[in-house]
This record gives sequence, C-alpha cells and structure tokens, in this order.
Amino acid sequence: MNRRGFGCALCALAAMRAAGAQTLSEFVEPGHRPPPDTDEGGLWGLMDRAERDLKTSRFVVRDRALNAYLREVVCRLGKDHCPDLRLYVVRTPQFNASMAPNGMMQVWTGLLLRCVDEAQLAAILGHEMGHYLRRHTLERYRDARDKSNFGAFLSLGLAVAGVGLAGTVANLALLASTFAYSREQEHEADRIGLELMAKAGYTRIAAAEVWEQLIAELAAGTVERSQSVLFATHPEPEERLGALRAAAAQAGGAEERGLERHRTGLAAVRELIVRDELSLRQYGRSEVVFDRLLAQAPGDGLLWYGKGEVYRLRAEPGDLARAMEAYARALESREAPPDTHRSIVMVELKQGDKARAQAALDAYLRAKPDAADAGALRMLLEQ
Amino acid sequence: MIKLSALLFAVALVAGCAAYTLVAPQRQNVADVISVEPGMKWNKMSQSAYEGHVEVWTLDGLTLNTLVFFTGVPDGEPLFVPRFADKARMEKPPVFRSTMNPLEIQELLHATVARFFRTTLAEERNLRAVSIAGGRGFRFETRVVGRDEVERAGVFVGTVAGGKLYGAWFQGARLHYFERYLPEFERIVASAQLTGEAARK
Repeated sequence: MNRRGFGCALCALAAMRAAGAQTLSEFVEPGHRPPPDTDEGGLWGLMDRAERDLKTSRFVVRDRALNAYLREVVCRLGKDHCPDLRLYVVRTPQFNASMAPNGMMQVWTGLLLRCVDEAQLAAILGHEMGHYLRRHTLERYRDARDKSNFGAFLSLGLAVAGVGLAGTVANLALLASTFAYSREQEHEADRIGLELMAKAGYTRIAAAEVWEQLIAELAAGTVERSQSVLFATHPEPEERLGALRAAAAQAGGAEERGLERHRTGLAAVRELIVRDELSLRQYGRSEVVFDRLLAQAPGDGLLWYGKGEVYRLRAEPGDLARAMEAYARALESREAPPDTHRSIVMVELKQGDKARAQAALDAYLRAKPDAADAGALRMLLEQ
Repeated sequence: MIKLSALLFAVALVAGCAAYTLVAPQRQNVADVISVEPGMKWNKMSQSAYEGHVEVWTLDGLTLNTLVFFTGVPDGEPLFVPRFADKARMEKPPVFRSTMNPLEIQELLHATVARFFRTTLAEERNLRAVSIAGGRGFRFETRVVGRDEVERAGVFVGTVAGGKLYGAWFQGARLHYFERYLPEFERIVASAQLTGEAARK
C-alpha cells in the first residue's frame, strides 16, 4: 500500500470531533489570491505548477457526470468559496483525499467506493476544506521556516524538482506529505468540517461512521495492528470514535444522507472502481467493503459480482461455492456486469464441469458479443 | 543537515543495490532452470527491485526495457514483490497456485503489476496457447502505465511444469523501446529450453 497516500487519507479522518465553532471571519476570504512576491504566493505558485501536471495525468478520472456531482457537493459545503476550489478524481483504489493551499483538492477513487452515502463523502470533503479555509499549509510552511527546519525545505525542493520527471501523482503525494498537518490543525479541520456539514444539512454522524468503517476494514486485512500506519500514528481509534459519536449526538439537527444521489453520481465509474478494488487482492478488506455497501443496497448486482470475485480469486476451501452464490445473486439484478458470466465460466472450469462452463460462455457472449477474451475462454474449454 | 546526509546515503544505497553483469549474446543459463540464447548484449541485475523467483535483464535500463524471467515460481508464492518496500505494512500479496489455468495466471500478473507499480492502468489481452520450450504454454500482451505516466507495452510467455511457473515477460516503453527489441525477445523465447530440475520429463 502507498504509505504516504494512506497517511494523507488519515489526515482527513484524524481526530474528528466537535468543539467551539469557528467564525467565518477567520477563514480565508472568497476569491483569495496571494501576491506572488509573498511566501504564500510562492507556495501557491508551486502548487499551481503541480496542478498543471495533474490536469494532464492519465490517472485523473474525467467523467463529466461524476465530476459534476462532486462539484455539487463541494459547492454545497463550500458555498462562497466554491469558485476557489477545484476537485480532481484520481484513479487510485486506496482511501485518500488531500487539499493543497491553492484550492486543488484530490479525491482518490478508493475513497469514493468506501463512502456509503453523500454525507460520508461530505465529512471528508468538509474536513479538507477546513485545511484550506484556515490556510493550514501556509501555517506549517512558516513554522518549518521559523524553526530552520531545512529538512522540510529540502523535501519540498526535491518534490518540486521532481514534478514532471518522476511522476505527477506520486510527487503530489510527496508534496502533501511534506506538509503533514499538526494535531491541532487536524482538530480544527474536523471542527470546521462538522460545521460545514451541519450548515449544508448533512447528518454529522457520518464523520464517525467513516472512521468506524475504516477501523473495521483494516481489522479484516493482513497487516498487524502494530504495523498499521493508522494505529501507529494516532491515539486509540476506539477512543476517537467515541468522541466523534458524542459530538454528533450533541449536535443534533440535520439528517440528510444523500444515499441515492451518491449512488447516481458515481454510476458511471462504479464498475471501474470495483474492478480496481479487486485488483488489490486484499480479500478480507474488500469483503468488508462490499458487505457494508450491500447492507445499504442488497439488490446491487455489481456489488454481488464484486463479492463473488473476492471469493473466486481468494480460492480457499469453500470459496468457489461462495462465489457461485454471489454470482447467482448478481444475476438476479439487471445491473449484473456481463463479466459475471465470465466468472462463472472460470469457476465451472475449476470444478471440471465443461458443459456448464460452455453454457456460461454462451451466456457471456450473448451479454457481451465483442468480449476481447472470448478466444482465451474457448481455448480453456478446449484444453 | 542530518536529513540531507541520510538522503544522500539512501540514494547511494539504492543505486548500489543494482549491480549489473554483462550477458553475452550466446547460450545462457537463467537460474539453472532456463536456457536461452540472446542475440544481443544484455545486462543482468544482481538485485533488482523485483523480489521473488525471478531474474531480471535489461538493455537500456529498467525504465526503458525490462526482461523478467520467472525461474520456477512454486505453489503459494507471489510472482514478485517490491524488494525495497516495508512488507510488514503491506497487505499479503496474491500468490501463484499450481492449479491455475493461463487466464488465472494472467489475472495474477494483473494484480501483481497493479500492486508493484501502484497503478490502475494495466491491461492484458490476446491470451493464446503457444508451444514453448518443447511443451504447451501460453502467451499474452500487456500494457502498463506507471506512476511516471509512461506507457509500457509487453509480452508475457509462460508455462507450468512440475507445478512451477516458468516464463519471461518483456516490457518496453511503448514509444520506440518495445517494438525495437521485440524481435530480440522473440528470438530469446524461441531459443528457450527448460533445464535442470525444470526439464520436462
């Protein structure tokens, strides 16, 4: 796993708890653009350069419907600051979001998959906006400079020099990690995020849910808790979860979740991000992710397909039967991807039933006449 | 300054890890299990970023072209993992199973590549049966865009013998380097024989 990227994801989750309200007068003004001859202007210049590279990256997802949907959420949260914020969806299956001081936001597709509804997504985006509104990166930059922290400057210099040479997205992650936020800043971003959520009408409990879900997912993985970046760099997560729930309970108020809107907004890329998740082959974690999503959408054919693939690819005793059950559930839905039939071919071949495999292949080719792997499947059937 | 020193040391360490040995254009033993006859001078890496039952050759450097030989991946082992990564912090890698069919091996390479190169832009196509090293094998084409945004084209050729995976995967930058050296890769594949413990009974 990309440790840096994951660390950034944690920025979005760390220490979410409510406390005193932040007055808007302390936020950066809408339309803010620092003079280029200031330290802040210099910082913006660096980020503008990184953003130019990001714009042309092959990893950026440019689907219009998805980007329009996310823009709506950003504007609903950011209101007057909306024109100053630009969101890029990066096709990377891990959970991550980040915010640069010039208003460039990154959301990774793994985060989109893991947000059950729009309120959970808003919890992350609101937190990231908190960093922007309070100019946390500039604060860290000045802090590093005042402390003569040459290491931080060196890291920044290397990162900027590398942009365009060693990979846009990787270097953006490096840039982000150069300015890891302080614990106080994370708390402040959480407070602001929760406030933005409430003002926009989202239920605040969603912030606690995201944290809870991540804890449950990591527990199903193969990385020891003591080795996990999450648990190594943050206090007891259970304690934090309790604080978040308490904050949400005190807040009361808004209830909106936006489950259907979220599902519709992601429709064009759902299959893509499910496939990318499966490529990680983190079977236990993916199973948790699909189960959670299926709890909200029990008839979702794509999710049942994904769950079936987890079992087929893991291939432990009993998994092929589990996979077939999941594929059967998928095929009960109109949304089952044609590849469900392909997967059935693979399982039937594994079980030595060529007649059933042939029938599944026929169904696959009816559902996907131009399947690129038709020849390969026929080859397997003939062997 | 301490960080600067540490950085320079790290750079030197990584650079020093990649020791090259010249491979002459004559019949060569690869890990004593594969015999091939290259037509050009290659460079064999003693400790590449690829960790596993592999041997790695290159002509112009790993970023431009890479030839990975699979020298008998046993059941339960990954195809390869990143050598210089903190594995304790990574999810367990997917592994090869001796019962896998060629399409499953293709899927395994896809997942291995996705993790190794940290990319979502990888695809494989045109899987077909071929004859290799005097036995039945398979072959498919690959395309990978790494975090450096460079697109690399490739060909994977493999066979399972005695429950182990043997094969070769050539990758080159799609612009120029792949097509230029593809005939050399085909020559190597055509010359391949399994030897030693891998020799077909």
